[in-house]
Amino acid sequence: MIEEKPIVTVQDLVTHYGETQILNGVSLQVMPGEIFCIVGGSGCGKSTLLKHMTGLLSATSGHINYMGKDLSVVDESELSKLQQTIGIAFQSSGLFNSMTVGENVAMPLREYGMTDKKLIEGIVRMKLSMVGLAAAQHLMPSELSGGMRKRAGLARAIAADPPLVYFDEPSAGLDPIMAAGLDELILSIRKLMGTTFVIVTHELDSIRAIADHVLMLDLGKVLFLGSLDEAENSTHPRVRQFFERRPDEVITQRTMEG
Amino acid sequence: MSELRYDGPATLDKVQGKALYTQIHKARPPKGRTVHIDLATTEVMDSDGGAWLLEIADHLKHRNVQFLVDGATGTVADFMEFVGPALEYGVAPLPRHVGIVENVGAHGIAIINELGQFGTLIIESIYWTIIAPLEGKGFRWGKLMDEMYEMGVRAFPIVCLMNFLLGLIISMLMAKQAEAYGIQLFVADIVMIGFARELAAIMTAVVVSARTGAAIAAEIATMKVQEEVDALRGMGINVVQFLVSPKLLALLIVLPCLVCLGILSGLLGGAFWGIVVLGFQPSIWINQTVQAAFIPDIFQGMLKTLVFAVGIVLIGCHNGFRVSGGSRGVGLMTTRAVVMDVFMLINIDIIFAAIFYYILE
Repeated sequence: MIEEKPIVTVQDLVTHYGETQILNGVSLQVMPGEIFCIVGGSGCGKSTLLKHMTGLLSATSGHINYMGKDLSVVDESELSKLQQTIGIAFQSSGLFNSMTVGENVAMPLREYGMTDKKLIEGIVRMKLSMVGLAAAQHLMPSELSGGMRKRAGLARAIAADPPLVYFDEPSAGLDPIMAAGLDELILSIRKLMGTTFVIVTHELDSIRAIADHVLMLDLGKVLFLGSLDEAENSTHPRVRQFFERRPDEVITQRTMEG
Repeated sequence: MSELRYDGPATLDKVQGKALYTQIHKARPPKGRTVHIDLATTEVMDSDGGAWLLEIADHLKHRNVQFLVDGATGTVADFMEFVGPALEYGVAPLPRHVGIVENVGAHGIAIINELGQFGTLIIESIYWTIIAPLEGKGFRWGKLMDEMYEMGVRAFPIVCLMNFLLGLIISMLMAKQAEAYGIQLFVADIVMIGFARELAAIMTAVVVSARTGAAIAAEIATMKVQEEVDALRGMGINVVQFLVSPKLLALLIVLPCLVCLGILSGLLGGAFWGIVVLGFQPSIWINQTVQAAFIPDIFQGMLKTLVFAVGIVLIGCHNGFRVSGGSRGVGLMTTRAVVMDVFMLINIDIIFAAIFYYILE
């Protein structure tokens, strides 16, 4: 399943929010069909890195290459075409409140040119059923719980069977059973469709269950990049601290000066 | 019970799935029979193919025909694990249809509930703005200053401009009518009386509703949606004291000031036309304006603005607190607040006009 050429490459990414430096020379490669976990403490730049990889933010310097195209140089229409092949599930779901859950899932299909109403209806039912929300098709997002909204967000992200899915904090806000179910679901989707997942998380159980490669960020820098086994056996003190859940060392604070 | 058997296509995708759907649709299987799709011959399937299987199942269910899919092997069997639960579940129930009688009843109850909530908000606001500070329960004076700056100082240019232009328009229109009778000087009286009694108050209040009323509704609605209001309650902080009373007192102070400036701006607008275009001597025009100034008119206009201020803030807050349904709800409630504000202004205006110029006359 895993081919030689990476689907996403990030090279020396440097980004700022105003004066504050968020990412400092981040480089990584994601191979097709793998599950790539970006981990790290709160505020280390995980979500920012994900937003750059999806082309939602532009970097101060560095390059992001997706399917052979550099996202920092492509024009808007090309970027939009590339983004259509990426599924994104946001941390707070990003569902449109003015539409039902079913319409939310149908939206990318319609926007990307699918016109057959029966086919759209079938896909919506199947994707919602995959995330355990078959009964919620005609409900409004405001009628769902936080965890249900998250799953509906995933259903929308995988609606058009994208080759690459970005998932920001999938397990946050879910009960352990549902979180484990979501991990299973991610593995099944990958197995059946060869989908590549880039997942931002800090749930250790989840990382152990699904990750092929792990990237650990700390204060915007890459602290560790390697396979899950290498991460588990790493001798780097910060990596050990993370994987052993030891809060005994000083928690690093990001200063406003960066 | 005989069964209609279909072999799955080698590749069950968008095209083949639709073909299978059309084939079964055209066959019109009679009620009570079973349609059996054997996927043993299917080597590959995708989401689109799975979606068509669901549509076939849905179609057959409507016709009361049994549906059976089996025989899947390898990756197709894996894929059927995704489709299976959806096939089993069927179609999600549509929201229940509400009849006319139930609808009328529900709306009636909703209106009564809303009136109750609004009444409670009025009582709580009066308590936390007037009585509680006197009882030493505190008031957010720092916030009051911020609100007064935002509602008053920042609204001052637009309020003055609008009133100036309105004064100009009134003067322009009236001068044309008065010209025929040679009484153009009385336009100064009309502008003075008009602005003191009515125009400055209503024009300023409309500008402030659109600016401040909408901002209050949007701010509180967003806070409610993002659970900030719950966070306040959870900390044992009174929401009305924290959010509503500084705004209420701020607008009670600021709106009469804005209306005073509105009257002056309106008079300036009228005078501009009278002096610059109609050619009256400034002293004559100003003298005529001052003679037309009547304290009860100004008093009535000012008293009205206090009621407007209470209405604008409480309607804004009330709609903000009633929000549901995320970002769309915030938009709806903001619109509703402004519409209710303007409707409230007109109604209060009618009541004041009736009381001061008919009942107390």
